[in-house]
Amino acid sequence: MAGDSILFYALSFLIIYFALGVLMNPNPIKAAFNLVLAMVGVAGVFFHLQSGFLGGVQLAVYAGAVMVLFVMVLMIFDLKKERDAFSQGFLGNIGKLLAAGIVVSLVINNVILSSDLQLATSNAAKAESGRDTTKILADLIFTEYVFAFEVLGILLLLVAIGAVSISRIKGGTHADS
Amino acid sequence: MGADLFEIGVNTAKLLVIFLMMVQIVPLLVWVERRGSAYIQNRFGPNRVGPLGLTQLLADAVKFIFKEEFIPDKNRRFIFYAAPVVALIPGALAFAAIPLSIPISVETFELFGQSWGPYTFLFQGYEVGIGIVFVLGVSSLGAYALLMAGYGSSNKYSMFGALRASAQMISYELALGLSLVGILLIFNTFDFQQIIDAQKGQMVIAGNALPLPNWGIFYQPIGFILFVIAVFAETNRLPFDLPEAESELVAGYHTEYGGIKMNMFYIGEYGHMLVASGLMVTFYFGGYNLPWFLPQAEELIASYGNVMAAVILHLVFLAKVGLFLWIFVWVRWTIPRFRYDQLMDLGWKTMLPWALANTIITAIVVFWMRS
Amino acid sequence: MLTVDFVNIGLNHYLILSAIVFVIGMLTVLLRRNLIVMLMGIELMLNAVNITFVAFSHYNQLVNGQVMVFFVMTIAAAEAGVGLAICVSIFKRFKEVNISLFENLRG
Repeated sequence: MAGDSILFYALSFLIIYFALGVLMNPNPIKAAFNLVLAMVGVAGVFFHLQSGFLGGVQLAVYAGAVMVLFVMVLMIFDLKKERDAFSQGFLGNIGKLLAAGIVVSLVINNVILSSDLQLATSNAAKAESGRDTTKILADLIFTEYVFAFEVLGILLLLVAIGAVSISRIKGGTHADS
Repeated sequence: MGADLFEIGVNTAKLLVIFLMMVQIVPLLVWVERRGSAYIQNRFGPNRVGPLGLTQLLADAVKFIFKEEFIPDKNRRFIFYAAPVVALIPGALAFAAIPLSIPISVETFELFGQSWGPYTFLFQGYEVGIGIVFVLGVSSLGAYALLMAGYGSSNKYSMFGALRASAQMISYELALGLSLVGILLIFNTFDFQQIIDAQKGQMVIAGNALPLPNWGIFYQPIGFILFVIAVFAETNRLPFDLPEAESELVAGYHTEYGGIKMNMFYIGEYGHMLVASGLMVTFYFGGYNLPWFLPQAEELIASYGNVMAAVILHLVFLAKVGLFLWIFVWVRWTIPRFRYDQLMDLGWKTMLPWALANTIITAIVVFWMRS
Repeated sequence: MLTVDFVNIGLNHYLILSAIVFVIGMLTVLLRRNLIVMLMGIELMLNAVNITFVAFSHYNQLVNGQVMVFFVMTIAAAEAGVGLAICVSIFKRFKEVNISLFENLRG
């Protein structure tokens, strides 16, 4: 059990450290690099929880594609100096910090108080412990959740069209086509 | 990692050896690249230092290590230093997940007054159940090395090179992933070991044995072609080496790098090539399996013992990988570079629809064959 | 009775980790003024939720939670695409991506 907990604490330290890096680093590109490392940590948590497929997808989609987009957009902008990296207003900021503190303490309190959390058990799609769950996941997506899956496909298509139409250059290199 | 000290030690040593294998392939490949380009262009190439210029590599290594360091005078020093190290990581992690030969079983033996074993050592760095998803995920992190190099250099040519390179990488990643879906549907698994095992022996279609090995390329020729093109784009080599277009961008994202740091980018690039060749062999050319008329793994184990059989099959794997590495070099010195818009058109308007069509047709055929 | 077991890692530890990461993401959205960094905060929050889903799915021995993670990732990618497109169009006009410029977005 010791190796398990050491791995958990190492991963949580990594995730929280780099998440704080996103929050505190005034340079947006460095914040983005921090977020990439935090996401790699989250992928590590997924691998540790025996959902290897999700870990791989997390690496490929989040860390590999979405964050590369963020970094690329930031590099295209090439912000020389950032005006007001953090929001102004002393009272407002205190309020925001207080709200965040209240949220986290409420959640932690709840979790600790309900430590004998009764885990729901149903007979739908039981995963054998210690086995990789990719095939069961695929079965579920293409049977029970197939409607949601198709709707997501349509959503992605709409998003692709929308993103192109928002950020299109009028009369660019492909103007005549 | 392992149950006891011996197993943990062997597995750690295995990881180290595989990493060193990736690093050591670089000087050899550089030599092959120089001599090969010279052969293709009807020149001599390096031929003064040692026989056939082979010790030129040693001279190069000494030169790389003792070269004066040059650092751009901006306060992005950490990112500048981190980029070459990051460039090494994806190749090393991905290559360690590919099985290089059959597993070696070790019987129980006595050592230090204690009995150890029995063990089964896999001939790969570590086993990942999801195989190809892991490799794709890890190698997609390679884009960060380029972005960090471009940003850390604080040089506009580096920046342009990095932007081009990473845009190219994420565009072709889509075609790369989709071109593999067909083969995954046919073999019905993500796991490398199962994919290699499924490619043993002779091809049998509807009960008729054909005179072809049971390799993926004969099931998925279009997928193979798409995969090769996408992999060339992913490794940023000619004909897709836009980020290093010397005539426009000096040397792309590693303009400001010199000496051993430059060399680390090369190791990363050649490591990427090695992983790509390994994937091609694993998916489309039967991994370490020999064709059906030559002795198979079981016969080799029966006649030469487990260890010798593993070594022989490993050499088979290396020979196949070497063939593809030579094709990388060959193409580089044969085909001219694309223009940037041609590159994007090829990726998005040609390869993506073909990969999608290939996936759909394969899915229909597989569904029809299985039902 | 507030007792915390620091050695045996269970579901609760993952939930607390997720809560902390979620709050850091929330603070990023609340405190930062750069639009893209705010989008990154949203990504952090979504990741925290994903940790919860995967932890529940692991300890419940149910795979349905992982399906949800899959959908969340897709939505996150879509949201990042649209958000970045809006950022690019803002930047083209004002040469900045500060959130205070958003009052100029009309029509």
